[in-house]
Amino acid sequence: MSSPTDFMSEFTRALEHPGELIDEISQSGKKAIGYFCTYTPVELIHATGAVPVRISGGPMRIDRADGLVPSFVCPYMRAGLERALSGDYENLFGLVQGYSCDVACGMFNVWKGNIPLSFYHILSLPYGDSSSAKLFFEQELKNLTERLADHGLEFSDTALSNSLDIYDDIRLTVLWLYDKRYKGELLLSAGDFYTVIRGVQVTPPERAEKLLSELVSSLKANTEKGSHTQDGTPILVSGSLVEDRSIFDLIERSGGRIVADDLCTGFRYFDPPSGDGKKAVHRLIERSIAHFPCPSRQLAKTRAPLLLDLARRSGARGVVFLIQKFCTPHLTDIPIVGRSLREEGVPYLVIEIEETGVMEGQAATRLQGFFEMIGD
Amino acid sequence: MEKTKKSTKRLATAKELNRVVTEFYLECHQAKAEGKPVGWMPPMNGAIELFYAMDLQPVFPENWSPVCAAFGLTPANFEVAEGMGYSQDLCGYLRNIVGFVHGMMGGDQVPLGGLPEPDLLVYASGGCIPAMKIFQIMEHRFPNAKVFRGDLPQVALEHIQPHHVEYAVHQMKQLIEFLTETTGRKLDYDRLADVVRLSDESCALWDEICTYRRHVPTPISAAEIGIMFVLVTRQGTQIAVDFLTKVRDELKERAENGVGIIEDERLRLFWDNIPLWYNMGLFNYFEKMGAVVVAETYSAAWSIRMDTSDPLKALAMKTLKSYPLVSCVSVETRKEMVLKACREYKIDGALLHSNKSCVPITLGQADIKRALEEELDIPSVVIDADHMDDRNFSPAQFQTRVDAFMEMLLEKKGLL
Ligand code: SF4
Ligand code: SF4
Repeated sequence: MSSPTDFMSEFTRALEHPGELIDEISQSGKKAIGYFCTYTPVELIHATGAVPVRISGGPMRIDRADGLVPSFVCPYMRAGLERALSGDYENLFGLVQGYSCDVACGMFNVWKGNIPLSFYHILSLPYGDSSSAKLFFEQELKNLTERLADHGLEFSDTALSNSLDIYDDIRLTVLWLYDKRYKGELLLSAGDFYTVIRGVQVTPPERAEKLLSELVSSLKANTEKGSHTQDGTPILVSGSLVEDRSIFDLIERSGGRIVADDLCTGFRYFDPPSGDGKKAVHRLIERSIAHFPCPSRQLAKTRAPLLLDLARRSGARGVVFLIQKFCTPHLTDIPIVGRSLREEGVPYLVIEIEETGVMEGQAATRLQGFFEMIGD
Repeated sequence: MEKTKKSTKRLATAKELNRVVTEFYLECHQAKAEGKPVGWMPPMNGAIELFYAMDLQPVFPENWSPVCAAFGLTPANFEVAEGMGYSQDLCGYLRNIVGFVHGMMGGDQVPLGGLPEPDLLVYASGGCIPAMKIFQIMEHRFPNAKVFRGDLPQVALEHIQPHHVEYAVHQMKQLIEFLTETTGRKLDYDRLADVVRLSDESCALWDEICTYRRHVPTPISAAEIGIMFVLVTRQGTQIAVDFLTKVRDELKERAENGVGIIEDERLRLFWDNIPLWYNMGLFNYFEKMGAVVVAETYSAAWSIRMDTSDPLKALAMKTLKSYPLVSCVSVETRKEMVLKACREYKIDGALLHSNKSCVPITLGQADIKRALEEELDIPSVVIDADHMDDRNFSPAQFQTRVDAFMEMLLEKKGLL
C-alpha cells in the first residue's frame, strides 16, 4: 500500500499541473470536461463516459486574462482564464457550468468567445425546491444530455446510477474524514487535508475513490500514533474557493485549528453525500437541491443557522471568512450572517484572498490577534 | 472637469422629466396613504404590469439609486452601508439602497419624500446576484412585508426553449396567486390585456424614438436618456404612452427640420454600460469636439416588444429576456445588439464603460470591443468608472483618454 506521501504527491500534482492531468485523460481516449463550481451535475457528465475536472486557478500573477476581463472579478476566475489562455486547458473537450453567480456565467461566456473547446454548455438551476422547480431542473438536465449526445457522449440511466454510486462513495469517505476532524482524530494537517479533498475534485473519480480508500486504511492503521492537529483554537472557515494551501498552513501557524468549513472547495462540495429517488436522475436532483447552500443561491438568514449549527457540532469557537476578493455573493452576506454569529457568541474575522494569495504578514497578525481573543 | 454634474438637456420633453419623476413618487406616497398595497420590486420584469392591472403600487428601489445620485445623497448612503460592513467592492445600487433604508429613509429632509415602506416584496432569483441580494436584505429590514420569492431561469436569449418559458409562465401564475391572497384583489384578465397592450405600445414608441437616432445630425442623445424613466416605472400605463408620444413627436419634428442636438455634429459615439448617474453632464463633455453620444446599450433592456395575444406569456417572456439582453448571460446577443446599433446609427467610435459597480454588464466587453474593430472597423476606448460611486471615477484620466480618442477619430475621418 502507498504511504500518505504518495497520495499527497499525486493530488498535489493534479492540482498544480492541471494541464498534465487533462492531457493524460485525453491521451487515454476519454474526454475531459471542465467546470467551475459545485453546482455542476458532475455525475451526469461522468455517466456519458467523459471525465469531469474542476477548473483550477491558483495564486498567480494575472497577465493575459487582464486583456479580456476587468480586474474587479474574483481572482479564482481570472487565474482559471489565465491558465486557459496559456494553453493549460487546450486538451479539454468542453466546459459545463451551472449558473451560480454572475461571474461564473460571464466567465463561461468569455471562455466560449476565446478558448476554442468543442463543447460549451451552461445550465440554469432552480432556486426553489417545489415540484415544479424539480421538474424544470429535470428538463435542464435532459437538455444537457441531449447536447452531450450530439457530441458522441451517450448517457443511460444505468450509467448514471453507477456514476452516482462512485460519487456518493467518495463523498461519504470525505465526510468520514470531516467527522474525524470534528473529533480531533485526524492525522492530517489542514494544508494536507485540503490538498486531499481538493485533489479529489480534479482527479478522475475512479482514481480518487481508490486513493481515498487507501488513505483511509492508512489513517486507521495510524490512529494510535496521535494527531498533530490537536493544538490550537478550534475554528470554522467559511467562504468561496480557497486554492492556496499556504493559507491553511498560515492559520495553523498562527494558532488556529480548523475543525470545520463551509467552503466551495471543501464541505459544500461533499455535503450531502447522496440524494434519494427511484430514478437515477431524481437522486441527482434531490442531492443538488439539498446541497449545503452557497450564498449565490440562498439567503443569509437561511445560511446563518446552518453555519451556527456547523460551528456547534464541530466545537468551533469562531469563524474565519476566507473570501475571494470581489466575490459578491459572499461579501454581501457577511453583515447579516456576521450579526447572527455575534449574537450567538461566535466571533468572526474576514480575510480577503487576492490574486497572489493573502498578504502573509498582515493576515498572520490579524489571525494571531483573533485566535488570542477567542482562545481560552 | 467636475466629478459630478447634471446634463444639459435640449429636448423640451426631457426638460419635463422633473415633473414626471415627482409625480411618480407623489403617486407612490399617495398610494401608501390611501392604503393601496405598495410592493417593492426589481426593474425589468413583468410583475410591474401585473401590479398596474391589479391596482397595486410598484416601487423600484434600484431606480431610486439614480435619483439619489442626482440629488447627491449617494455618499451618505454609502457611508451607512459601509459602516454596516457592506464592502466597497459591491454594486453601488446595492450599497446605496441598503444605506438608504438603514439611514435617511423616513427622515423629513429626503427629496421627493423618499420611498414609502413596502407591504410586499416581490422579486425573483434570476437576475444578477446584487439585484437578488438587495431584496434578501430588504426582507431583513422590513420583516412585516409579505414576500414573494420567484424563481427564474437564467438563460441566454439564443437558448430559450419551451421549458424555460413554461417555467416562467408558471412563476407568473404563482405570483398572481400570491398577490390575490395577500391583497385580496382579483386580477381582471381584460384589464391585464389592456395593460400589456399599453406596455407594448410604449415599447413600440421607444423603438420608433430610437429610429430617429439614424438621422444625421441626431435629434436625441444619451444626455436625454432620463426620459426612459417612464419605461422603467410606468410600463403598461397611459401615462407612459402619452409621454413617449410627445417625445416621439418632438423628435420627428426635429429630425424633419434637421435640428441636431449640437449644431456641428462631427463625431457620433456609442456608450456601453450604465451611465454615471452622478455625472450625466459627462454626456455633454464630448460636444466640445463636435461629438455626440448617439446611443447606448443600456436602454435596450427596457423595450421588449410583446405578443399581446397571450398577456401572461408575454409578461413571462419579458421577464425572461430583459436582464440577459444587456448582461453577460448572453454576450453573443449583446454583441450583436451593439454591432447592429453601431451600424444603424452610423457610429464612429464606442465608449466602453468598464463599470466597477456592475460586473454582469462589464464582463464580455473585451469581446465586444474586438468585434467592433474586426467587423465594423469601429475603434473604442475603455473608460474606467462606476455608475454610482464617484470615488471610482477619475475625471483627469477620463479627460486624457477621451480627448486622445476623439482626436484619433477626427483624424480617421479626415476632419483634423
Ligand atoms: S461565487 Fe464568488 S468566488 Fe465563486 S465564482 Fe462567483 S464570484 Fe467567484
Ligand atoms: S445589473 Fe449590475 S447594476 Fe444592476 S444590480 Fe446587477 S450588478 Fe448592480
